[in-house]
Amino acid sequence: MSYVTIDQVTKGYENQVVLNNISITLKKGEFATLLGQSGCGKSTLLRSIAGLEGVDAGRILIDGIDITNLSPRQREVGMVFQSYALFPNMSVFDNIAYGLKMKKVKNIKSRVKKIIEMVDLIGKEESYPHQLSGGQQQRVALARALVMEPKVLLLDEPLSALDAKIRKSLQKELKRIQKELDITTIFVTHDQEEAMTMSDRIFVMNNGQVVQSGSPSEVYTSPVNTFVAKFIGNYNVYDMEVFRKIVRNRELKGTEVAIRPEVLQLVSVGEDSLDLQENWGIKGFIKDVSMTGNVLRYEVETEESAFHVDYLHHRGKMFEQGALVHILVPKKECIIL
Amino acid sequence: MRKIKKQKIYLLALLLPFITFVIGFEIGPLVAMIKNSFYADDGIQVTINQYITIFKSKFYLQAIQNSLVISLFSAVTSVIIAVIAAYSLTKFSQKIQNRLLMITNMTSNFEGIPLSFSYIILLGNNGLFTLLFSKIGWDVFADFNLYSWTGLILVYIYFQIPLAVMLIYPSYQGIKKQWKEASSLLGGSTSSFWLHIGIPVLLPSIVGTFSILFANAMGAYATAYALVGSNYNLLSLQIASLVASDVALKPQLGSAMGVLLAATMIGAMWFNERMMRRIRRDLR
Ligand SMILES: Nc1ncnc2c1ncn2[C@@H]1O[C@H](COP(=O)(O)OP(=O)(O)O)[C@@H](O)[C@H]1O
Ligand SMILES: [Mg+2]
Repeated sequence: MSYVTIDQVTKGYENQVVLNNISITLKKGEFATLLGQSGCGKSTLLRSIAGLEGVDAGRILIDGIDITNLSPRQREVGMVFQSYALFPNMSVFDNIAYGLKMKKVKNIKSRVKKIIEMVDLIGKEESYPHQLSGGQQQRVALARALVMEPKVLLLDEPLSALDAKIRKSLQKELKRIQKELDITTIFVTHDQEEAMTMSDRIFVMNNGQVVQSGSPSEVYTSPVNTFVAKFIGNYNVYDMEVFRKIVRNRELKGTEVAIRPEVLQLVSVGEDSLDLQENWGIKGFIKDVSMTGNVLRYEVETEESAFHVDYLHHRGKMFEQGALVHILVPKKECIIL
Repeated sequence: MRKIKKQKIYLLALLLPFITFVIGFEIGPLVAMIKNSFYADDGIQVTINQYITIFKSKFYLQAIQNSLVISLFSAVTSVIIAVIAAYSLTKFSQKIQNRLLMITNMTSNFEGIPLSFSYIILLGNNGLFTLLFSKIGWDVFADFNLYSWTGLILVYIYFQIPLAVMLIYPSYQGIKKQWKEASSLLGGSTSSFWLHIGIPVLLPSIVGTFSILFANAMGAYATAYALVGSNYNLLSLQIASLVASDVALKPQLGSAMGVLLAATMIGAMWFNERMMRRIRRDLR
């Protein structure tokens, strides 16, 4: 039974289609991520769900109710904006209480207090937004949405304005709060790593369409096309014509092949322990080495092409620039597209 | 190190014309006016009699009251109209906004004697519209008298509005679209957004504009003089007749009234600031 249904939603601006026949369903309590490059329509989709934009065609349902034509205030969805959009003239407490006051509910004080505890803002109740750090402002924005107990929580790149460290800790916290409240969440990001760590389900978007959906590991290990392969996994992608030459095998079928950089192995030329039963061996030299956190990334140039090879950075052997190597390509890890 | 010092002196030297201007044309006259106000009519004896004269004279108190009333009324009305007008301005395309702003800018300089004469030509007893409408048979202007209190207020409001729009318009750029969206998602209506967020955010600019308009109206002289001559009892008209008339030249009394005029303006600003801090507690 799906809790959120987006049914063939289409939307355009002037002469440009921004959402092209999008269909998505979510279960209650699911943490879903819309992942895609800037400009692919993520925000527009989120804003359509919130009712801040109308759609040209299609339906949106939450909890069995068709909300396509309801105003934002009737939809019972909460949203956190990238820019936080806190009310500058109100204290933290008043920002969070605003929605409750609008709804004229009872026990505003205790509800606000509870949520302030949850997002760890105790002691900041009387502060104003300009007195808070980016991370704290983000928590206020989150609390302001959560206190309304919305049916769906929408988050539009809520962490992208924060620096890496705070971002990591807020990712964890967001996830904890989401699980604690069991709230159905749609999270937007252009950062594939963030999408991987946080989501139950990822919807990869490109040009106003959902090109693939699935669990993080599904999307990561079996991309359906070149776009997803390149965007999600930093895959090595080759035209089949070229790949046949690289591995000297004319029998391979398909149009393209994608290989994850971390399944490749490097072996120094001269060491003769190559398993050419399970792998293809390709000769090349290390053109460049770079380090991203704990990952060593080699750029290896071969006669016909080039490969990215990722290694976990540990105390073992490291290849120098210019070293001659064999790349071992595991045959079963090659994804034919 | 030395070079920086030299540069600083050089920069200060560039400020010299400005400082001279401020001292010569603003601080100087102000000090002279305050000093003058504490002399008797003969200009020799030091006394506070000029102030006593003002506060004992029904006529002068009336002038102060009239000026306060017309200034308050025209400033409040113009600010309200300008808040609405500037908002609707922001709803046009950028191109139209620029053109409307240009017109507003031009009309904000349209005051004093030219403005009064324009009104006389259009709405005076033999004004264009007055005659036109009476010929057509509309009697909207039948009871209207330009040379009255109502007429004066109309002209004051007219010259205050463009200035107010120019001053308030920029602060609408500071109102973020996301605040409205967040408010509506939290269940707020358009009016609750303006009541709780929009107006409070605009408030510093509204208050500042109000202070300027109030001072502008308190000091307005030429417009009123051209329209009602000395028939109407206003503070600025009384000061002018005391310092520049050929009947009863009393510069010391005029100075004392000038000091009171300045005091009302400062008082208004102080009061505005206080009120604003009360509502916008985040600015404290
Ligand atoms: N109000 C608008 N008017 C015209 N075009 C818009 C508007 N909002 C977004 N777009 C266009 O729609 C596309 C998708 O925008 P958006 O949903 O913001 O992308 P994303 O959030 O994925 O970066 C972009 O090409 C953008 O230029
Ligand atoms: Mg976006």
